Amino acid sequence: MLRKVLIANRGEIALRIIRTCHEMGIKTVAVYSTADRDSLHVRFADEAVCIGPPPSRESYLRADRIIAAAEVTGADAVHPGYGFLAENAEFAEICEDHGLVFIGPTADTIRMMGDKSLAKSAMRAANVPVVPGSDGIIEDLGVAASVALEMGYPVMVKARAGGGGRGMRIVHAADDLEKHYLAAASEAESAFGDGGLYIEKFVPRPRHVEVQVLGDGQGRVKHFGERECSIQRRHQKLVEESPSPVVNEELRKAMGDAAVRGAMSVNYRGAGTMEFLVDAEGKYYFMEMNTRIQVEHPVTEEVADCDLVQYQLLVAMGETLSDRPAVMDGHAIECRINAEDPSRGFAPSPGAITAFHPPGGHGVRVDTHAYAGYVIPPFYDSMIAKLIVRAKSRDLAIKKMSRALDEFVIEGIHTTIPFHRKLMTEQKFIDGDFDTTFLESFDFSDLTNHVH
Amino acid sequence: MDLEQIRELLKLVAESGVTEVEIEDEEFRIVIRTSHAESTARVISQPAATQVLADATAPPPFVDLNHTPEAEVPTSTGRILRAPIVGTYYASPSPDAEPFVQVGDVVKPGDVLCIIEAMKLMNEIEAEVGGTVKEILVENAQPVQYDEPLFVVEP
Repeated sequence: MLRKVLIANRGEIALRIIRTCHEMGIKTVAVYSTADRDSLHVRFADEAVCIGPPPSRESYLRADRIIAAAEVTGADAVHPGYGFLAENAEFAEICEDHGLVFIGPTADTIRMMGDKSLAKSAMRAANVPVVPGSDGIIEDLGVAASVALEMGYPVMVKARAGGGGRGMRIVHAADDLEKHYLAAASEAESAFGDGGLYIEKFVPRPRHVEVQVLGDGQGRVKHFGERECSIQRRHQKLVEESPSPVVNEELRKAMGDAAVRGAMSVNYRGAGTMEFLVDAEGKYYFMEMNTRIQVEHPVTEEVADCDLVQYQLLVAMGETLSDRPAVMDGHAIECRINAEDPSRGFAPSPGAITAFHPPGGHGVRVDTHAYAGYVIPPFYDSMIAKLIVRAKSRDLAIKKMSRALDEFVIEGIHTTIPFHRKLMTEQKFIDGDFDTTFLESFDFSDLTNHVH
Repeated sequence: MDLEQIRELLKLVAESGVTEVEIEDEEFRIVIRTSHAESTARVISQPAATQVLADATAPPPFVDLNHTPEAEVPTSTGRILRAPIVGTYYASPSPDAEPFVQVGDVVKPGDVLCIIEAMKLMNEIEAEVGGTVKEILVENAQPVQYDEPLFVVEP
């Protein structure tokens, strides 16, 4: 039994983890930078330790200070949340070296699945369909050119160490390869410290459909259905839902089985997500695996009626999974509310929130660390709330989301609420007829703030 | 001394602005130390009958959530030197040795003032400024967080 968990994160996910820990009778330790003194995760944790000045690299990314904080508070486990050190294999190792349970997979699993080309090889070996691509890292431009020619343009040049949509470029023709290849290599070197690239067949107009898995590290893995995450801007997800409107029972079984097969082949421990691209013909291809809890986990929780953070903690305590498959019921949608102005290119809008009134009612869930009077620091990502609704059908969920967005009052800053309100009325969204290119043709110029 | 009396005493001490009060009689001794607007009380010794009282006034967990490092305002003038890392503060190089500094010592920039232990490493913390040590704000073996005020040094 874990007695005390240190949450190596901030914002809404830190609060999320604290909530489940408290329900389980587990004590919590928050860590925070000086910019987050007034943050809710600091207030709600049982103990809090300041670990540095505002910049993430001096605070939330400082493994040494986080471990020191665990030591002085006597924590026996660390939950890394998402982002920051969640998929940092060295951090997982350091935790283990210091006798701290790392809530997540082993360092080796993180390392392997974090290497995009190794991950694909592992999945191929497990008979999981994979986007056709180079088998390993491309040594030089010459190799890149011949691989791309064989695969057929268009191709994607991607950074091995990339993720979250960064370090990738589409190359439509052989003439463009050299410039994109060189640019991608130097971007990757400076952003991730690793200039290694690989090449993938570019699937035009794909849908991003991911499967939530959970493994106990003792041979069992189950899945909790899929999430549709195609509404993205510059590869950043804005809206997610479960189930996907284009996944029928047959495809769900195939993708679910593939995800479980892939995770079992690496004896996966903890919560994880298998990301797939689904093309216009309903063919699916493994893209990458995220070895952490994800931002959009609530939509799965709402349709599968479960607490994924609790499962992470139970697995970390050595519990094994039951044979019972997860049961999914109803439809859930999540809108990410960011402190950004969607009518001005999503320009960040940090500052003081002067009024904050989240929506409520049946089937409405708000995961947020914001409150009236909270000052959003400019040092971290701009997401301030997740608005999740659950209803019996997708139509009803969209109606409920529209209603909830209309009620959501946030003043003092710009938010993406006006964008979400318009999206819920777009016919193609309502019809479920969209892919990852959807927002490229979205008109952001006529967004209105609600009148209250 | 009952809980109500201790509460009254805490209030009095906080209102008076006094930083430390020690009261002793045949049955007990109570030490109250304040920082800024708050007081903490530690009952040192008490007869068996008031054992429950001691638990009720036990020190708060590692970092009292109402007590953030910047809120700490020591009473002397001078520059506050703060912890640059998280760990356990030690006043001396080893358990039997003399402390690195005492109140009244004159230090130069770069002088070692204390050790903060983290992850089994003893980190020597050096003075950023020179001057006279006016106050030592932490106790030996106390856990400290980033920015925790440690010393007041008057240049």
